[in-house]
Amino acid sequence: MNGKEKIFFEKFKDKFSKIIEKKRRYYFNVDNEDLREVADYLFNTMKCRLSTCTATEVYDGLEVLYHFTDDTTGTYYNPRVKTCLENPEINSITPILEGANWIEREMYDLFGIKFKGHPDLKKLLTINSPEFSEDDHPMRFKRNSEGKR
Amino acid sequence: MSKCRIPLGPFHPLLEEAEFFNIKVEGEKVVDIEMETGWMHRGHEKISETRTFTQSIFLVERICGICSTSHPFACVNAIEDIDNVEIPERAKYIRVLIGELERIHSHLLWVGLAGHFIGYDTLWMWAWKYREPILRLSEKITGNRNHYAMMRVGGVGRDFDNSLIPAINPVLDMLEKKMVMLAGAVNDDPVLKSRLKGVGILTKEDAINYCANGPTARASGYDIDVRRDDPTAYEVVDVKVIVTQNGDVFDKAVVRILEIIESCNIIRQCLKAFEKIQGPVINKVKEISPGEGIGRYEAPRGEVFHYIRSDGTNRPVRHKVRAPSYSNIPTYKASCIGIPLADALITLAAVDPCYCCTERSLKVFDTNGRKLEESLLKLSREKTEKIRTKFYPNNLSPLEKIFEL
Repeated sequence: MNGKEKIFFEKFKDKFSKIIEKKRRYYFNVDNEDLREVADYLFNTMKCRLSTCTATEVYDGLEVLYHFTDDTTGTYYNPRVKTCLENPEINSITPILEGANWIEREMYDLFGIKFKGHPDLKKLLTINSPEFSEDDHPMRFKRNSEGKR
Repeated sequence: MSKCRIPLGPFHPLLEEAEFFNIKVEGEKVVDIEMETGWMHRGHEKISETRTFTQSIFLVERICGICSTSHPFACVNAIEDIDNVEIPERAKYIRVLIGELERIHSHLLWVGLAGHFIGYDTLWMWAWKYREPILRLSEKITGNRNHYAMMRVGGVGRDFDNSLIPAINPVLDMLEKKMVMLAGAVNDDPVLKSRLKGVGILTKEDAINYCANGPTARASGYDIDVRRDDPTAYEVVDVKVIVTQNGDVFDKAVVRILEIIESCNIIRQCLKAFEKIQGPVINKVKEISPGEGIGRYEAPRGEVFHYIRSDGTNRPVRHKVRAPSYSNIPTYKASCIGIPLADALITLAAVDPCYCCTERSLKVFDTNGRKLEESLLKLSREKTEKIRTKFYPNNLSPLEKIFEL
């Protein structure tokens, strides 16, 4: 870790858990309430750029991985936010950076994650498709009544 | 003044993918623009979960027809990032060579199309003429003009034949000479200047806020380039990053033309290295351990991003793909508003969309029920013609003169 990275992890050490460190890549878990503060610090103070976000359905819920890149060092900071399967909801970071607008709309479209505070949350990719209705989220797994895939 | 809504797309020659632009104009001025997408959604991420890692590389190669090696490049970077796989040095040079050849032909394609959109069809034909030798070189090196299928996890699939070096050097010399000439002519031509300079400005603040990347960001003074910032094969060569400050269409063109010259330099470095460095081109990777990896590559249009999560089997659990245009297209909201409609076409084209759809004729009705049948292409060309007759009532412009020789 160099100086900038140390200051970042020192500042938020109570809020991060499960930090995985790899060569030029950091993955760590963040609570939904702290996401905006972390994103604001990464974008405005550390001048990172949001590459994209990855939503994944795992066995006990959904998780969203934000990929912030620091272009001066080539390091990726990846805060991971977990949410539940029923009515998944995460705070939107679009008010902080406009570049997250389409990314959050895509995740809402494919996974049905609602982003609280998004200015215009509607579907992005399947918006004009006759095959998908408003409640269809094509990347979600089909589960039986016991919750198994 | 009457307000009017102009639908552009979903199928239009300047759009890389089928997209729909809802342009609202007040008189001649664009006051609002909205984008809708989804017509080309093919579900690559979902298909990839049912394919093995090696099959995924060939799958993602089909995402784009022009920058077809950038997706496999980022994909193998992501898979190698899971296990920190080292690749042989000769393979690094081969990857760089293929990537830069592709960058040259992709940028030349854009230069030609930009000329076509503003009514400089001569520029279009000549730029594509210079593109042809590059495609032939690609065929000699990889066996195919496009879709090279060179990337493998741990290296490349095919060795470079050193006997091709004498055939490549003259092409690079020719290209560099022509690009210097072209850059000079573009700079001298007052018609092109008044048509492109100060048009569709994207400020640095907007570029940062919209997370733009690639030439779109670099033309606005945002100094980012994955080849230099996070190199996975490019650390073996010197890369000079081209950055300009104004953010208009003219600067975007300048960045691309200078990048072609820079790519020629990078290829020369590779050719020199091929004579010295021999050895294997692939480290065989038997299995991928559980974990997650991020790979990225500077495609001609910007940063291609791949994220792969593996659970130890031979298939990815999650494969996320983000192409550069996904970040660059929303910048239209910042760059298109307030400009005349005739300039909207070249501004939309300035982030470099490909040429793969068919034009569709439009019938537009304004609020008074009047029918407007002009296409944007026609409007754009008429504007250039008007400027041209003002500057050169009888003679040819500098750009046309160089091609007349």
